[in-house]
Amino acid sequence: MATPSLIERARDPSERTLAILLLAPAFALLALIVVYPIGKLIWNSFFDLRLSGGSGAFKFVGLLNYEDVLKDKDFWNATKNTVLITLITVPGALVVGLGLALLANLPFRRRWPVRLALLLPWALPLSFAGLIFAWFFHTEYGVVNDVVRRLGGLGFEPQTMWLLKPNYAFAAICLTIIWKTSSFMALILLAGLQMIPRSLYEAAEVDGASRWQQFWQITIPMLMPSIVVALIFRTITALQTFDIPYTMTKGGPGNATETLAMLIHKTTIDYLDVGYGSTLAVCMFLLSLCVTAVYLRRIGKE
Amino acid sequence: MMNTVALPTPRSLIASPLEGPGLRFIAASMVVVNGFFPAVWILLTSLKTETELVSKPITWFPHAPTLGNYVQAFTDQPLLRYLGNSLVVALLATVFSLLVSACAAYAIARLNLKHRQLILTAIVASSMFPLVTLLVPIFETMRSLGLLNSYTALVLPYIVLNLPVCTLVLVSFFQSIPRDLENAAMIDGCTRIGALWRVVVPLAAPGVFTAGILAFVNAWDEFLLALSLNSSASMRTLPVGITLYQGEFTFPWPIISAALIVAIVPIAVLIAIFQERVVGGLTQGGLKG
Repeated sequence: MATPSLIERARDPSERTLAILLLAPAFALLALIVVYPIGKLIWNSFFDLRLSGGSGAFKFVGLLNYEDVLKDKDFWNATKNTVLITLITVPGALVVGLGLALLANLPFRRRWPVRLALLLPWALPLSFAGLIFAWFFHTEYGVVNDVVRRLGGLGFEPQTMWLLKPNYAFAAICLTIIWKTSSFMALILLAGLQMIPRSLYEAAEVDGASRWQQFWQITIPMLMPSIVVALIFRTITALQTFDIPYTMTKGGPGNATETLAMLIHKTTIDYLDVGYGSTLAVCMFLLSLCVTAVYLRRIGKE
Repeated sequence: MMNTVALPTPRSLIASPLEGPGLRFIAASMVVVNGFFPAVWILLTSLKTETELVSKPITWFPHAPTLGNYVQAFTDQPLLRYLGNSLVVALLATVFSLLVSACAAYAIARLNLKHRQLILTAIVASSMFPLVTLLVPIFETMRSLGLLNSYTALVLPYIVLNLPVCTLVLVSFFQSIPRDLENAAMIDGCTRIGALWRVVVPLAAPGVFTAGILAFVNAWDEFLLALSLNSSASMRTLPVGITLYQGEFTFPWPIISAALIVAIVPIAVLIAIFQERVVGGLTQGGLKG
């Protein structure tokens, strides 16, 4: 970034004031919606704060909430589900997204159908994707079971109850998330693909490199910066997974598909247990802070 | 425009083996089917009657297409009201997101500012905090301010939600406008504000527009806050309202499908019209981050 020219500074001595004025609204909002809530959250986590009027409401309890969290089966279940969803859907979306990007990068005469096909899943609200796929996976009238039947069963029992059996429901949710998020991956990767100079492939061709070698030696390394950015963005959003399981299974059957975000929402908004909910949120916050730290270090390097 | 230029397509791994138009068509079809199939399936479902829906084996194309489900979608739930709420919230959020982030982006990109990288990083890092962890305090704050079930309750957090991506897009846009243009205007006697208004604003319009679409889609799609802060029927937004057609044990899928189609059409039209700009903005916001 070039330093401002002399003319610029001479013309406007109050530049610093102007800068502060221009940045003020952004930081005021960040203070109200991010900084203050974080402080409040940590504060609340030390209290027994049940708005529904429980017996011990509004009492300082020290680290009791934290002890409870560590002993809370629901918490560990939700953490396990959240981490599993992240570990499955992030690489899943990367592979599918890379495939879509490579296909979309072919020299088509009309680019809009392919581009729109990548944009539509991205623009669709997550809750819509959840509803639509819940219908896909419907036991009796869903298209998934219909296709399975037409293909001769594929080893599944007829009329698989996708959303009513723990493992199947989990798989269905992961599939939906991968479908919904892979197109964003593909768009980012497509932009990366289009920045790889053609000459690299020509040189490799001259040197007699096979296509497979070209893919691993040129495409993947050149795409790495885009891949890293896309992965980090996806990881952070995957940890927050809420909409799709909420609309597909409401966390069920039992709490087989309940994520941390859903547990926090249930505890605070439905049960109005603000103290314990805040403690859960602090724990989730720490989890995502680890990921953010990795991310910020990455930015720092570049 | 930096990102909407049609780049010559380089060969990629499978570009060359699929040089033939037939194979290229297959590749395009795979991408198109993947993207459109869910929406098409919902459209087909929305045209079926309840009797056809529960016939087995299921039919793919409606035998006797009906629009009755669309009528019911509007009468079973106040769908029009949800649409209106979503539109108002998304538009307000877009306008204010742009105002706030354009100011910040201009200061970061143009003004003589120490620690500009740090300031930008702070703004971007704010998007890393999981919204759900902030949900409780935001809920409490809005409750104590008496703002639950109001447009403000959603618009304020949405501005913050949009701040990182809008600021990133706008910073790189402001940086792409030659500084000399501004300086020339100031030499000719414009004040900084004058130069800003007459030179930078018109030139930045495409960037503002790009950021605006991203902000609109973000606000339009948001679910968790809308679900938690605006729970009264008259203030619900579309993503929340649409989950309410199902009863405890009943799932009127043709009606839900019709409502989904009604809800998808506005956003689909928007991105269809501005697709190049959206792609440019997304990759810019994403890659710069």
